[in-house]
Amino acid sequence: MISFRNVHDISRMRPIIMSWSRYVAMKNGMLGPFGPIPCWRCLLSTERGQTTMNVFDRKAKRIQRDRTTILPDYKVYEYLKDEVGFRVADRVFDVKRQFNVAVDLGCARGYVSKHFLKDVVSTIYQCELSEKMLRQSEVSPEVPTFRIIADEEFFPFKDNSLDLVVSSLSLHWVNDLPGCFRQIHNALKNDGVFIGCLFGGDTLYELRVSLQLAETEREGGFAPHISPFTDVRDLGNLLSRAGYTMLTIDVDEIIMKYPSMFELMHDLKGMGENNCSWSRKPMLHRNTIAAAAAIYKDMYGDEEGVLATYQIIFFIGWKPDPSQPRSAARGSGQVSLKDIDKLNELVKDLGKLSDNKDPGKKN
Amino acid sequence: MKLITHNMLTSNIIKGVTKGYPLGIIPRKVEVKDVDYNPEFLARMIPNMDWSAVCKAAKDVGHDEGLPKEIAPNFTENDEFLKAAHHVLLEIDVVEGDLVCPETGRKFPVSNGVPNMLLKEEEA
Repeated sequence: MISFRNVHDISRMRPIIMSWSRYVAMKNGMLGPFGPIPCWRCLLSTERGQTTMNVFDRKAKRIQRDRTTILPDYKVYEYLKDEVGFRVADRVFDVKRQFNVAVDLGCARGYVSKHFLKDVVSTIYQCELSEKMLRQSEVSPEVPTFRIIADEEFFPFKDNSLDLVVSSLSLHWVNDLPGCFRQIHNALKNDGVFIGCLFGGDTLYELRVSLQLAETEREGGFAPHISPFTDVRDLGNLLSRAGYTMLTIDVDEIIMKYPSMFELMHDLKGMGENNCSWSRKPMLHRNTIAAAAAIYKDMYGDEEGVLATYQIIFFIGWKPDPSQPRSAARGSGQVSLKDIDKLNELVKDLGKLSDNKDPGKKN
Repeated sequence: MKLITHNMLTSNIIKGVTKGYPLGIIPRKVEVKDVDYNPEFLARMIPNMDWSAVCKAAKDVGHDEGLPKEIAPNFTENDEFLKAAHHVLLEIDVVEGDLVCPETGRKFPVSNGVPNMLLKEEEA
């Protein structure tokens, strides 16, 4: 017979007095009478027989975001998303084009779309999972903005209707990222663009390490407290497999200093970035928290406070269109690298070369 | 929810639905507001609109008198057409109502002017 840590002797049935958190964990299906049960909801089969990961509880994420709207000082926690939203908007301005219809996906309180002006975008649709957060969103001063309550995984726009889709710091809670990218790709027009950012693998690694070490020391094992993030290379793969071309992906790191681990965790809750994976533990022991805070300060802090890293991956992908520049045909080169020592003469000849038909452009 | 928004939405997100466009509208409270007339904005947005869906939506909310059935050929200069389009697309607001999927009949509620396109777990 396999023995578990908390074996209930059936011959001595007595009412089980348990703590509230244990009761909640059992109710949520994460804890059985003998210990944590494996999470069956983590894998979900689709019709095509593929398996999409079901890591995040989207309903819990919506509730967590709704809760941030009740806070009277919710604006205090917006600093990170505000700054990153502005950087994404900056990248949109770098594209010298006027977009007709733009969608801000997972807009939260409109951190990206509030910066758009008439000469960049004509219409904005703000989409967000949480209704209460959406109603608190800020809008652009010039551009007509319409709000839609929509899930990032179920993109409700018709095919070939959008010129621009932006998404800032909300895709890291999406379960089916390939599906999401594909739906956005379908909704974009040819030569439409998808610009966005999400958290990368190194985000909050200090917190992750501290909690892991503390839990291993105090409880003999550890549970995931920081959600899994996408890697830069994986993101590139996902985008190109969904059909985007001319990908540009770059990574930014924002390192912030907090007085201690507790302020960091409080701020994460205020932002609505609490853990919502199905396999989250419903509680943290007081001993563990104290130990983690001490480890954090020791490893990643000084007298003033502790550091926290946010690694943000920015990406831009285009829907293919014949008008986009393509690489030149093989064998069409006119100049050889062997002649690089004669560069001055070649530059003079370049004027004559560009008069000929450019092999890169379509006829 | 203005009709310009309704024209963009589809219920193809529901599992098994392929013809989820256009969505029907069951209005419970419709308001007509005054919005500044901007012919440039309309000239840019009208090519994006599916005009038959616009007509059907206008009929559902009961504001389709005098609406042309097709886009006028030179609509950028046709002031009359633009004014009719402006009224239908931007001035009519479905504050409370439902959007109905044409294939399954599933209703997406519109509350306080914002359509709710979230799915329940079973429909994903």
